[in-house]
Amino acid sequence: MQIELNNIKPKYMSDSEISGSDIYLQPKVIFERGKKYMVRAKSGHGKTSLLNFIYGNNVNFDGTINYHENVDKPFTLRHNKLSYLFQDLCLFPELTAKENVQLKNLLTNYKSDEEISSMLDVVLPPEKKQQPARTLSLGQQQRVAIVRALCQPFEFLLLDEPFSHIDHDTAAKVAQMITKEVEQQGAGLIVTSLDDTDVFVYDEVMNL
Amino acid sequence: MLTRLQKKTLIPSQIIGYALTLCVGVSIVLLAFQVHSDVTPLLTSQTDVFSHHAVPVSKNISLVNTLNKSSIYFDEEELQELREQDFIKEVATFQSASFSTRAVFAGGKIGNLSTDMFFESIPTKYLDVETDQWDWDSTSNFLPIIIPEDFLNLYNFCFAESQSLPVVPQSAIEQVSFKMEIEGNGKKREYESRIVGFSSKINTILVPEKFLSWANRVYGDGRENKSSRLLVEFENANDERIPAFFKDRGYNIDESELESSKVVFFFRLAMVFIITIAIIIIVLSMAFIIMSLNLIIQRNRNLFINLYNIGYSPVRIAKFYQIVVSIVTVVDILVATLVIMKVRSMYQTRLASVFENVDTPTNFWLVASVLLVVLLIVYNITILQNIKKVVTPKKMS
Repeated sequence: MQIELNNIKPKYMSDSEISGSDIYLQPKVIFERGKKYMVRAKSGHGKTSLLNFIYGNNVNFDGTINYHENVDKPFTLRHNKLSYLFQDLCLFPELTAKENVQLKNLLTNYKSDEEISSMLDVVLPPEKKQQPARTLSLGQQQRVAIVRALCQPFEFLLLDEPFSHIDHDTAAKVAQMITKEVEQQGAGLIVTSLDDTDVFVYDEVMNL
Repeated sequence: MLTRLQKKTLIPSQIIGYALTLCVGVSIVLLAFQVHSDVTPLLTSQTDVFSHHAVPVSKNISLVNTLNKSSIYFDEEELQELREQDFIKEVATFQSASFSTRAVFAGGKIGNLSTDMFFESIPTKYLDVETDQWDWDSTSNFLPIIIPEDFLNLYNFCFAESQSLPVVPQSAIEQVSFKMEIEGNGKKREYESRIVGFSSKINTILVPEKFLSWANRVYGDGRENKSSRLLVEFENANDERIPAFFKDRGYNIDESELESSKVVFFFRLAMVFIITIAIIIIVLSMAFIIMSLNLIIQRNRNLFINLYNIGYSPVRIAKFYQIVVSIVTVVDILVATLVIMKVRSMYQTRLASVFENVDTPTNFWLVASVLLVVLLIVYNITILQNIKKVVTPKKMS
């Protein structure tokens, strides 16, 4: 699978706002498996929109996205090709941290119960696993959301500002976990960020 | 886990409300259908041997008629007028014999008893007596006749008593065979004859129509067949123009005949009305549960959008609600059918004590199944559509 973007332009942005972008309005932008990409832009310039276009959450764009897969809708890719960390996390507040991850894992049964527990232990104090998500701090929630995103087979992992609520050291630990998973699956990684975080080793950096 | 999340979104009071109203509506519909099939045969039991229900009509005998006999007959014009009325389906005339007839009873030692007879015939479809002996053809030597049961009743209840004679049941009379002599046109013929039935509606001595047409040709004196009585079949016996029409022209019509069809008509009307109301109740309860589900979906749109975001398809998300509503509906309709079964057995015992037992089909299962299928289809489709609408990304206008 490859993600190919052709002449993508958000419908609600004018040409002048996105001129000079490495991605928008470009005739052909390709993301390949096995590579790590950083998409950098200032706030409000459409980073989240880009990932939403790729994930299929947002259809308000001109141009085409080709996944080089035999599917007619991006939705079908969500099970085992595309995984997404949402900027607003999208956790279920009444479910515990562990249940939030299990809810996702149930779709594919990709990880075993023990694997989930051990991943959560890396990013959270152990007792927080069984607490409702709404009682966790934003940073903790973000880490839970990251673990959740890893609980499926994927060929591309999309992370939208994954460390916006996490300090540098924890970020590095989490990034290690992510890298291990990504390399194990031979997947591509696309990360959007406000600034340069050096926790990943990127193959390509693009300005939006 | 998903189930747990979704269970919390339900509003139990609304589900219970739906269950109750649906149960009431369904029970009424089932009951009405069943009562209709159970009761209609009882109301029409006198006429259900008729596949055609016709009413005898004659002209009033007044002083005018006794002076001028021709005016007791219906002429072509009057017959035509009757046939043209749109509330009248068909007009049949009583055919009469234009030859002389005589019935001869073997009296054994006493000698033969004989009496002059008269015959008439009507189209076979209007007979209110079931008999398999009415088929007659010109090779047949047997002539069946049907007499009014009132004749026998007069004998049994009035004459026999006053003359200290024994009463005689219908079955005994039907065993007695006698000879029927017909004479006319210089020809004479004798038939074996028996009374094969007793009519409660037709006030004459009947012979098969085929026989009388044939016999009139062969033995008749060529008289024109004038009808003093008619059998009129109505489109709708309750048409309010009927009594007025017949009264205006001085025609006699047996009101009680119309009564039974009136009762059936009103009964049917009442059942249709009840069923309509019950269906309205069902539709309202459907609307109620659909609105309730819509409310749940709207109130929890973030939940569904999040589920969709992490990869749960609308079908998967909808399943929980589809199952809940379907189970409630199935249980509901089952309860309604059980209630109806109980109610039906109660009223059937009461009906059996008043009316003769008639076997009627149990059709409420069919109605219940049809209702169930329709409801389930509507719900499952609506729920899925609504969830799809909520979760799929919106296009900008």
